[in-house]
Amino acid sequence: MTETTTQDTDRSETAGASSDSQTRSQPGAGTESTPETWTDYEFEGEPKMAVSGLDVYYGDDQALDDISIEIPEKSVTALIGPSGCGKSTFLRCLNRMNDRIRGANVDGTVTFEGKNIYQEALDLVELRKRVGMVFQAPNPFPKSIRDNVAYGPRKHGKVRTDFLAKLTGRDDSEREDEIVERSLKQAALWDEVKDRLDDNALGLSGGQQQRLCIARCLAVDPEVILMDEPASALDPIATAKIEDLIEDLAEDYTVVIVTHNMQQAARISDQTAVFLTGGELVEYGDTDQVFEDPQSQRVEDYITGKFG
Amino acid sequence: MTDLSSFDTRQRLRRLVETDREVASLFAVATVCLVATFALFLLNSTVTVVPLAGFLAATGYGWYAHQAETARALTFLATVSTILVLGLITVYVFLEALPVFQRMGIRLFGFTEPIELFGVTLIPSVDSYWSTSQHTYSLIPMIWGTFVTTLLATAIAAPLGIAAALFLAEIAPPLVRETVKPGVEILAGIPSIVYGYLGFVVLNQFFYQNLEMANLGSLFLVGLVIGLMALPTVVSVADDALTSVPDAMRDGAIAMGLTEWQTMKSITLPAALSGVSAAVLLGIGRAVGETMAATVILGHTQRLPDPLQDVFDNTETLTSLIASQYGNADGLHMNALFTAGVVLFVTVMILSIAARRIELRMNRKLGGEL
Amino acid sequence: MSYPTDSALVVDDTGTAERLASGVVGLGLVTFVFSLLGLTQIVTEETAILGVGLYDFLAVGLLLMGVATVGLGVGSRVGVFNTTPDATPGAVTAALFGLGGFVVAGLLASQLLGFGTLGWLAVASLIGGVTFVGVALAPEDIGSTLPPGLAAIVVGLLIVGGILTPAFAWEPEGFSATLTGSMAIPLALSVTSLVTMWAGAKAYEGYGSTGRQTAAYLLVGINAVAIIAVLVGLLLFIASKGVGPAFQGFSLVPFEWPFVTNGYSFRPEVINGVFPAIVGTIWLVIGAVITGVPIAVAAAVFLTEYAEQGRFVGAVEIATNGLWSTPSVVYGLFGYAFLVPRLGGSTSLLTGMLVLGFMLLPLCLITSREAIKAVPDEYRDASAALGVSQWETIKSVVLPAAMPGILTGVILGVGRIAGETAPILLVMAGGLRDDAPNVLGSFEFTSAPPFVANDALLQSAPALPYQLYATITAGVSAENATEFGWATAFILLLVVLSFYAIGIFSRLYFRRRLNS
Repeated sequence: MTETTTQDTDRSETAGASSDSQTRSQPGAGTESTPETWTDYEFEGEPKMAVSGLDVYYGDDQALDDISIEIPEKSVTALIGPSGCGKSTFLRCLNRMNDRIRGANVDGTVTFEGKNIYQEALDLVELRKRVGMVFQAPNPFPKSIRDNVAYGPRKHGKVRTDFLAKLTGRDDSEREDEIVERSLKQAALWDEVKDRLDDNALGLSGGQQQRLCIARCLAVDPEVILMDEPASALDPIATAKIEDLIEDLAEDYTVVIVTHNMQQAARISDQTAVFLTGGELVEYGDTDQVFEDPQSQRVEDYITGKFG
Repeated sequence: MTDLSSFDTRQRLRRLVETDREVASLFAVATVCLVATFALFLLNSTVTVVPLAGFLAATGYGWYAHQAETARALTFLATVSTILVLGLITVYVFLEALPVFQRMGIRLFGFTEPIELFGVTLIPSVDSYWSTSQHTYSLIPMIWGTFVTTLLATAIAAPLGIAAALFLAEIAPPLVRETVKPGVEILAGIPSIVYGYLGFVVLNQFFYQNLEMANLGSLFLVGLVIGLMALPTVVSVADDALTSVPDAMRDGAIAMGLTEWQTMKSITLPAALSGVSAAVLLGIGRAVGETMAATVILGHTQRLPDPLQDVFDNTETLTSLIASQYGNADGLHMNALFTAGVVLFVTVMILSIAARRIELRMNRKLGGEL
Repeated sequence: MSYPTDSALVVDDTGTAERLASGVVGLGLVTFVFSLLGLTQIVTEETAILGVGLYDFLAVGLLLMGVATVGLGVGSRVGVFNTTPDATPGAVTAALFGLGGFVVAGLLASQLLGFGTLGWLAVASLIGGVTFVGVALAPEDIGSTLPPGLAAIVVGLLIVGGILTPAFAWEPEGFSATLTGSMAIPLALSVTSLVTMWAGAKAYEGYGSTGRQTAAYLLVGINAVAIIAVLVGLLLFIASKGVGPAFQGFSLVPFEWPFVTNGYSFRPEVINGVFPAIVGTIWLVIGAVITGVPIAVAAAVFLTEYAEQGRFVGAVEIATNGLWSTPSVVYGLFGYAFLVPRLGGSTSLLTGMLVLGFMLLPLCLITSREAIKAVPDEYRDASAALGVSQWETIKSVVLPAAMPGILTGVILGVGRIAGETAPILLVMAGGLRDDAPNVLGSFEFTSAPPFVANDALLQSAPALPYQLYATITAGVSAENATEFGWATAFILLLVVLSFYAIGIFSRLYFRRRLNS
């Protein structure tokens, strides 16, 4: 709805094609000797998001090859793999940030709570409100810390603190303060910044900036949080803080995290998906199982450092 | 090992000192020649060529024998000369304006009625604004004319230009962007005399007929034409500023479920504010200094419009004053034209420094150094 | 499983509202385009569509738009259409509508109803204030559709009802111009159709943030298209006027192009041309490049390669920016005061060259500095690691790598100075001539200092932009002066814009090559 009409037609094509690909594709068939291991991965409750038969092309290059995966609610799902294996691309398909990349062509179905997010009538704004994202490099806005956190709620009309609202007595400043405090506490940043909420966010350290970005994301109250190597640009201490934070977040949110750091994936995730070169999903299962007893030889080679 | 290296160093040092002595004397000769050339040129002497030849000979030999040092010295000289040119412009334009400054004093900005504040006369009155027979020169009508045309031009070029830059940088599909951007940059090159000709031949008549105006030419039309002229420049510079905002910032907002329009308004545009305001100031600078369109379109009368807000009346701008009167001016009259040049020069200099300040401050802010 | 959300992830739009809204936008676009054409008098009130006068036709369209827009707003409020409006249209919209109400009410009260200053201020403030508060407190669907819809209905009725006719004339007090009906009608039509389209586009998306985006994109897009259309239209207009006279007597075999190869002979039987002016412009450019470019490039080298960031560099930067923004007429004054008395005492080609060279200096300095800065440090390091001295590195690595950028800057700078008129006015002048300046053939050596003289350099020479100005001031003599002017303008545009086009496309080319 937000895009131009040309893209709308694109989208309807992908939505139409997706039904075909669902029936056509037997996920991972033929590429591995034991493909069933990960499709059989079972968990309690409904999947929060489900992907089936997802292909992504950048121009003529295939970035993802027939991915099918179900992501359980309120847990941490780690996506690991060597660089260029398409794990970030996959992540960006889950909130349709790929729409912003020129020449990206998505084919397949991605459902959020059972609804296909690549259908024409989808409200992109609503989707991205519910599926938040934290990027590889911290990208706070050049505004104050408070403005950064309150930005989403303000723009989405959840809190109104503008001149007009004050004039008509509908001022939500208190509510905004609550949201800011709650989000910053959730992101374990409150104690460090509570006395300087009006300072520019760009004055914070890298680790603090990244936690601010997480707080900013939480303030919108998403259900799923996508994280694209959130700790790769940070030092070990900041990384440890972010990792603790992610484990806490999994109690209330569904977290999907891309990482190239296998130790990190092993430490924080409940289930792990391994992507290998060519955009293939090779293995998906309980993190312990994937790391201790991988089903596929290639995954074992990758995990033990023989390749990748 | 230590012996060897110290020997080597001493050797090198000796060689350096030897060449240094020659280079130093060469530089001394060249400097003397150059200073003499400059001094003689200032004195308007025909023998200026003699030291000039000396300088050329010295640099020629230097280039042949000590190229690195000479090159360095010459590039330094070129750098200094940029300051020198600005200095010369400042000095000579001011010097020529001085007689009228002395004669008129503060009355250079005088109205036909004295300006008083609490009974104290701040600016004494002038009999008429611009009289070459009595040598009374007040720049007030010209300053008003420049002010009004600049205001009109900015009111057109700034909002429309920024909006168009937003379209190019943020909304337009890549193919449109890649064709339109160079096109806009080319359009920025249309010479002002062409706009002037168009205004003179076509627009003046059109306005005269359709708005039933009392006279050909008006401040309104000049402002309109200058605004149109400044548009491509504003669009192109503002577009550069917008595209230099990192994509990560936009993605951050989009991923929170903001529309692209909300992102533009509250993230991209504020982040690019320094560049965008520099673009606007640049446009204002061009409008203030624009000469030909105003000269050609306006009917030249050195009085304030009556009533003052009548933008459809004629008056003069600082630039058109110079361009329309230099031909039959001499003595004090010519000096008076230079005062207009001084006011222009100072105004534009202030704008330029302001633009630079804003840019530096915003860069610091965006860079996170607080 | 339940989700605590207030709006649905998947929205199915109601067809009727969407069709109605797109009708409003489509109708609005047509009205807007025709009213703009009306403003420029390309079409007038006499133009008829389907036997109805153009403006009546457009007014009926506007009326329909207004009714539809009000319908869209009310329909959304009472729940006929499925929409997701926000609580309020926002302070900016309210303020703009309030301002609109203030202006319209003020104009009506003071100019048409003849209220005194106090009277119209009171009326305008009242109407503006009521609009502002009303819009601010109304829900988004009502607040953003009712005011434009009502305005469209009123304007439509005024025109259809014969109150606002081409005979209408309003002379605002204190302005020496009259707003005639033939201007006022298209003006009113274009403004109201724009605002109504905006409301229609909002309604199309069911309001909310997406609606605001679509509405804003519509206006921003119209603005961009209009700007390009006006500028390109201007070029085409000049071309259409200039091509004819410029190619008079043109033939390919044998090659003859009198306008470009002839001088201005003042003889009626010979086609007058701009050959001397072209040659003069070429000499001006050559002289300016020789004066300005070496200094600019050398200074750029010093600033990027030798100088440390400090006071001196800061001063040079201020000087460069100052020179860059100094108005061209001030350069002219400087040349008049400083160069003219010292170089022969009269306006001459040489002073013109020098002054344009000084103007070229900051243009080239800034672009050359950028180009040299853009040379990656790895090149310098690699060269230095081989034991090559700094100057050798600059000469053989840095400058060749930066050369495309420097050249582009020079070409763009030349494009700019080739069209400059104001400085030439003061330091060179030179009117319509039959013969071109012969610079190379005029060098003479003398026994007295300065030992070398060149009459052609010390005389005025014609140049294209000045010639165009001369056409205006002198009116030339013949009755085809205007045609001669258009043709000169066309040739000048051709020359200047070719420089720009070459500069810009070579910059694009080198940038792309650098990136790949």
